[in-house]
Amino acid sequence: MPTPVLVCDDSAMARKMLIKSLPPEWDIEITQAANGLEALDAYRAGKAEIMFLDLTMPEMDGYGVLENLQKEGLNSFVVVVSADIQPIAQERVRQLGAIAFCKKPVNPNEIQEILKKYGIVL
Amino acid sequence: MSAPSLLNPDQTDALQEVTNIAMGQAGSSLASILGVFVNLSVPRIRVLDAASIGTAISDMVGRDKEITAARQSFHGTMRGEALVIYDQEGCMDLADLMGYDGQLDAAAEREILLDVSNVQVGACLGGIADLLEASLTYSAPSIMAEHIPVDRLIDPKKMTWNYALLVEVNFTLEERNFTSHMTFLMPEESIQSMGEALDKFMENF
Repeated sequence: MPTPVLVCDDSAMARKMLIKSLPPEWDIEITQAANGLEALDAYRAGKAEIMFLDLTMPEMDGYGVLENLQKEGLNSFVVVVSADIQPIAQERVRQLGAIAFCKKPVNPNEIQEILKKYGIVL
Repeated sequence: MSAPSLLNPDQTDALQEVTNIAMGQAGSSLASILGVFVNLSVPRIRVLDAASIGTAISDMVGRDKEITAARQSFHGTMRGEALVIYDQEGCMDLADLMGYDGQLDAAAEREILLDVSNVQVGACLGGIADLLEASLTYSAPSIMAEHIPVDRLIDPKKMTWNYALLVEVNFTLEERNFTSHMTFLMPEESIQSMGEALDKFMENF
């Protein structure tokens, strides 16, 4: 069965860039979300076994999503993908349960490494 | 051509994302200079006619605010002017973070603002230019206005451009009053060059 993957970013361009950088052989079903609230809806609908999450977004930002996920048991691998490269931002998202932080623009090799490290793509 | 049609929705979205990436770099540079966490906003992109720019800037900063502003022009693949607008209350905070205690004379305040503006504009425009494979050169920043109400910053009668691309990037510092608003004003032909560069960038995805 394909793995449900959620790509959450307010920019359609950024979602495209991210999706293009995912391993081509990976059997996945992609859902897209344009803000944090949409991401939480998709998560609750079981569409986010893996979540690629932007931080700076309208409606609800990435930090808000992580906080809500924690309250709801965090049943998802969250990779934060952000342009905010301040070390404190990275530290914060890890404390909130994200497994990794990728800086934008995303590098396909970096994504592949993270997925391998967590045994998501073998 | 009407103002909004100078950039189509795909180009606007791509520019927003490119700006987002660039402002991440600018925010990081600012954070390392000031030693505090910088909150980044979602960048806002609008093409406006000259008559609306003043009002748009007042709305962005907050009406009746007293501000000081720096300007820096850029040339190359695109040309235009970057404005960095500071809330007056935030200037003292900035001085404090930069290690000035108590006595801040006008010259020192200017020096701080110009330094910080230069970092923000250089990192942000530099980041956009890198992603779009554009080449830009910059003039030295200068103070455009000091301690004036925001609605007096732009005189529409003195605008030489019909349209301007307003790229709005706001930085705020955690637990401080400091806020800065950065905008790029570009003439029509530069907005079109920007659009072409964005099309090329999007072809990669």
